[in-house]
Amino acid sequence: MRMRFWQKTYILTLILFLFCLYLGLFSLAFYTYGKNVQNMESVCRAEQDYLLKSFERDYAAMTEAGSASPSLLMESYGSFYRGKQVLLQFGTEDSVIYSTFPKDAEPDSKSGTLTQIRIGGKRYVLITSDVCDGNYVLRYAKDASSLDEEFRALMITYAAVAAAVSLVLAIALLFLLKKLSLPLQRLQKATEAITSGDRTVRADESGKDEFADLGKSFNQMVETIDGQMQKLAEDAERKQMLVDNMAHEMRTPLTSIRGYAEYIEKAAVPEEEKNDAAGRIVRESDRLKKISEKILDTAFLRNNPVKREPVDLSFLLAETKERLSGKAEACGVTVRSDLQPGRADGDPVLLSLLFDNLTENAIKACAEGGTVTLSSSGRTVTVSDDGKGMTKEQLSHITEPFYRTDKSRSRAEGGAGLGLALCRQIVSSHGAEMTFESEPGKGTQVFLKF
Amino acid sequence: MARILIVEDELPINDLIKKNLCLVGHECAQVFDGNDALDAALTGHFDLILLDVMLPGLSGFEIIARIRDTGTPVIYVTAKGALADRLKGLRLGADDYIVKPFEILELIERVDAVLRRVYGASDTFSFDGITVDFRSRLVTRDGAEVELTPKEFDLLEALIKNRNLALSRDRLIYLVWTYDFDGNDRTVDTHIQRLRKKLGIENRLKTVFKTGYRLEV
Repeated sequence: MRMRFWQKTYILTLILFLFCLYLGLFSLAFYTYGKNVQNMESVCRAEQDYLLKSFERDYAAMTEAGSASPSLLMESYGSFYRGKQVLLQFGTEDSVIYSTFPKDAEPDSKSGTLTQIRIGGKRYVLITSDVCDGNYVLRYAKDASSLDEEFRALMITYAAVAAAVSLVLAIALLFLLKKLSLPLQRLQKATEAITSGDRTVRADESGKDEFADLGKSFNQMVETIDGQMQKLAEDAERKQMLVDNMAHEMRTPLTSIRGYAEYIEKAAVPEEEKNDAAGRIVRESDRLKKISEKILDTAFLRNNPVKREPVDLSFLLAETKERLSGKAEACGVTVRSDLQPGRADGDPVLLSLLFDNLTENAIKACAEGGTVTLSSSGRTVTVSDDGKGMTKEQLSHITEPFYRTDKSRSRAEGGAGLGLALCRQIVSSHGAEMTFESEPGKGTQVFLKF
Repeated sequence: MARILIVEDELPINDLIKKNLCLVGHECAQVFDGNDALDAALTGHFDLILLDVMLPGLSGFEIIARIRDTGTPVIYVTAKGALADRLKGLRLGADDYIVKPFEILELIERVDAVLRRVYGASDTFSFDGITVDFRSRLVTRDGAEVELTPKEFDLLEALIKNRNLALSRDRLIYLVWTYDFDGNDRTVDTHIQRLRKKLGIENRLKTVFKTGYRLEV
């Protein structure tokens, strides 16, 4: 059987309390009883003392009168004291001279003792002492059965009290503990609800006790976990999207490669068409290669620290301008530069790649007759163009892998939508900052801060 | 045979589909973005539309929703191969769903299947004085009936449906004998020989080295 905490507490508390209660009550009862016995004994002693003294006085008077008969004297005492529930025995060491004790219960206790005996089921206090200078022995037994009656009455009263208190306690404790453990049960219910997937449930935080504290901590924990789960889910979603996009991007050239290869293999077509198909296979393979290289580069940069050395940004930009001037010319775009020397720490190869990518994007964005400007001053580099620009929506996506503002055109030019994702990786592995400003129709500026 | 609209923003893939469909006798028109696709689909009276899902401009899903009233059958050709995308496409009223990269022969077969389902089997095909009637399964050569066994006729039909494309022996076995095939590659060869002889098409039905057979018409 599974016992709840409050049930255990209830049973243990109840047992402990009842044990103490009964122990206390019974100790009290026995103490009271002991006191009563003592009282009874001292009363008996006083009475016996008085009896002894008056007997000796009477006996001495009789002896003086010359008619000393202890048995006769004893007889009158015996009948007087019988009315007081006292039994008397008078005799020498060896023989009984007079006795009011029943025949079968003649005591033979030692002189000078006080004991308790039972005669006919009743309790008596028996006091034995010498009288008449040790010639005789007097035994005095006082009925003490009231002691037993009192004790029984005492026990009954105490038992009744104990039973009443126990009952009240048992009921009160039950309600109290149930009520006290209510927050715990609520917390448990909340935990179960959350476990079964309901994330909106929160624990009770009202009150000032530990349960309220526990509720607060619990809620904080749930919120933290919730936040992290959400982050994980978002992360997973982003990764899934990346994988989906990647699959799509790789499937597209793969479709062409497979299709044209099959075409060459199966179709009855003239030689020049076969050559054309083969050319397409080569181009699409290159595209696939480019995508995989960029993916690998990005992954490499993410997992490896950059080797930094002091580089002159303006020098790298000048190189970029020279490298891309041919391409720019072919597109009818002018590349201008405004370069102030400025030093930064970084990997010159990666930085060149970064500048090339950004400049290439700028050239692509321009129509014929457009201008791309590269400028640097200190640790800032700006690449700006007067091309078609981007909307805010587009801007927010451009560094995502495989995102393209103009899908058909970018693909026709052999892009995979990975350039800016790589740029972002290069920038972040240099601890630099990259920001974009753009307006449709007016052009785009890219700011780099090292 | 059929007028087919190809909607695909990737020029090489668009060309690839066109080349292959033209080889087997279809007439093709090409468009490269969603907006043009919608115009062409609404005004062009096509028998079938091959539609990419991810397009510049309108997406394939948006296009199909708007052209459903024309009743033109649509086959999706897309790199989105996830089950959810397939279901979405088919639920929106596409007749079939082809995932890139696809096999050319599979594309042709699916196109044929949809055309046959929507418009019924094509009636006849003629070349070099030979007329093949697909409904009555009769073949005449210069007006005189040529007797073909059922398997020979199936083989001829498969070759005509995939004409100008080489079919491997495995492919022919799959298309003609389907499940009850207990012979070997030689079975295909002997059937080919008999077809050549009965129809006198040695110069048309060619052996393609290391690949299979191709009917060139």
